[in-house]
Amino acid sequence: MIDPSKGLRVQTFTIKPFEMPAKAAALREQVRSLIREHVPPGDIARRANCWQVNDPAFSRALGKAGLIGMTWPKAYGGHERTALERYVVLEELLAAGAPVGAHWIADRQTAPLLLRYGSEEQRQRWVPGVAAGEIYGCIGLSEPNAGSDLASVRSSARRDGNEWVLDGQKIWTTNAHIAHIMIGLFRSEAGSERNAGLSQFLIPLDTPGITIRPIINLTGEHDFNEVFFDEVRLPADALVGTEGEGWKQATAELSLERSGPERYLSSMVLVTELVRHAASTGEPAAVALAGRFAAEAWTLRQMSLAVAGRMADGEDPALEATIVKDLGNSFEQAVPLLVQQVVELDLAAPEPLAQLTAQLLQVSPSFSLRGGTREILRGIVARGLGLR
Amino acid sequence: MNEQQTMLADTASALFADLSHQATIADWSQIEEMGFAGLLLDEAAGGFGGSFEDAGIVFRLAGYNAVALPVVEAILAARLAADAGFAADGLGSIAEAANGSIDGGAFTGALRGIPWGRSADYVAAPAPDGGTMVLRTSGARVEQRENLAGEPRDVLHFADAPIQRADADLFALGASARAAQIAGACDAVLAMAVGYVNERKQFGKPLGKLQAVQQALAVFACEAAAANCAAVGVAQALDRGDARFEVAAAKARANMAAGVGTSIGHQAHGAIGFTLEYGLHPLTRRLWSWRSEFGGEQYWMDTLGRQVVAGGADDFWGGMAGRTDPPA
Repeated sequence: MIDPSKGLRVQTFTIKPFEMPAKAAALREQVRSLIREHVPPGDIARRANCWQVNDPAFSRALGKAGLIGMTWPKAYGGHERTALERYVVLEELLAAGAPVGAHWIADRQTAPLLLRYGSEEQRQRWVPGVAAGEIYGCIGLSEPNAGSDLASVRSSARRDGNEWVLDGQKIWTTNAHIAHIMIGLFRSEAGSERNAGLSQFLIPLDTPGITIRPIINLTGEHDFNEVFFDEVRLPADALVGTEGEGWKQATAELSLERSGPERYLSSMVLVTELVRHAASTGEPAAVALAGRFAAEAWTLRQMSLAVAGRMADGEDPALEATIVKDLGNSFEQAVPLLVQQVVELDLAAPEPLAQLTAQLLQVSPSFSLRGGTREILRGIVARGLGLR
Repeated sequence: MNEQQTMLADTASALFADLSHQATIADWSQIEEMGFAGLLLDEAAGGFGGSFEDAGIVFRLAGYNAVALPVVEAILAARLAADAGFAADGLGSIAEAANGSIDGGAFTGALRGIPWGRSADYVAAPAPDGGTMVLRTSGARVEQRENLAGEPRDVLHFADAPIQRADADLFALGASARAAQIAGACDAVLAMAVGYVNERKQFGKPLGKLQAVQQALAVFACEAAAANCAAVGVAQALDRGDARFEVAAAKARANMAAGVGTSIGHQAHGAIGFTLEYGLHPLTRRLWSWRSEFGGEQYWMDTLGRQVVAGGADDFWGGMAGRTDPPA
């Protein structure tokens, strides 16, 4: 990134032109027709922040259509499509507000992690089910005293003969209540500190000794959980990858998690309703706001795709990915506030514009918390600029 | 960047850094010698045969180095003159707006916002009745004006001046070029700010160690990145053809970045950045100027808003995402 000593050609964001796949338009049409077929109009508020809305039936339909695990080897139930073809499918699902929450984490993180670090047995056992839209995952990172400060993990794993014994507690675990497996980060070396001595484990959530308790969010919805581990016994092969390398493994593919289209599209259905409102009323302020949203969304799409294109070429543009997440979260968080500022709304009314604004006003604070808080991300960007 | 673009960038970078904001029109021959004005002309016409993406690289670097010469304007004017079948020679520039009328193939009225209009031999301008007109400056009365950075932004008054026409939307081309210049200047201000806060010590440590400073510059970096991606995106769209959406989006977004970037850039520099002696103002005063030139934020948001509203809500997403899809 910026290195003033390098003189005058520094650039904040290395841009590599991308080419969309030849089949992009056909893929979009496939996704749209699946949504028409499987997602009933129903509760409009469920279209907001839709990658945290669970609908296992829709996940199975996507699996059947070959739209989960798109880039994975066929040997594990994948479809060997390109990364940008997958990108097209994801952005279409998100822009339409389709309920993709059930399988989202397994498709984005759990199975890719197993394909990269897992044993052959782990891959065979779990990955095909993920691709089918039937197996769901969750991520066991945060703990009561380890949120943004993730290296403070205290939950422990100790060897006992041929088994691992897990003790401790995870918190803010999205979808633990519907997930079949967790990839959890545990301190496997007693007395180790910070990011040393940590290992990742694949934990079937029906293992005895695991207790999952809901944490109800401010809208009354149940997304995240506390997960307690009380002498949970796992076979030796529950270890994922290399013992003691958990930190490296857990942070290796953060770019995948940070720069995807879900980082700026969580409020897109509200943007679309705002366009509808502007079209039907002609209110100049609403028309201008539609233009502002279009300008920002278009730019973020360029940025997110630029990162996706570079990752498809085997690069790891970690800083650019961090920039996409921070900017994208700020945009999707600002959308409901700006709509509220510009349009006279009765938030108790059943109209989609009001319902979506009401829902997103309440859930959008989480956008700049989940997957790395705004402050942490900006610290990473600052370090990339050469500060610190 | 491909190999040719890397060479272009290296050449432009070295020359522009040397010229900088201290260049005068007497230095124009250096730009001419390199053939930059023919960047967007066909090779058959003696040009470089470059794409808008190539031109965007040069525009960005002109912005990065705050070059006080009409590099950007000459490149666009040459292309528009060629489109109009106008036999161009000498220095060309572009006008931001026209106030007057065309009668019998001749323009009478005023052209406003012409960079280095006083030195230009010909000028391309938005025609009062649509499209672009190209005309010679001989015989025009020059009213000298300057932008915030002291760059000429002249008004030329014409009486019965013969014109030739092109279909191109000059205002849109100007806006896309300014977006690239803003992107470059934002990166330059950011680089200066980062360099400054890493050097300058207060409370016994570099300012760059303070989280408040770090977080502010990270915000700036995100804005600069957005401006750069928008600038590349609009250049690619111009090369594809219809860029009405992208021009509006890119200039609006770049203007937002210019607003945030100038403010954080100055704040990071403290009082020294506010002095005439220090080299921040050649960049920030240009950024403030370019933010207004060829359309401000609200203008382009309104324009883009009318476009997407006309397309309808149900085609909003598909219309936008589909713009980069290859034809089926």
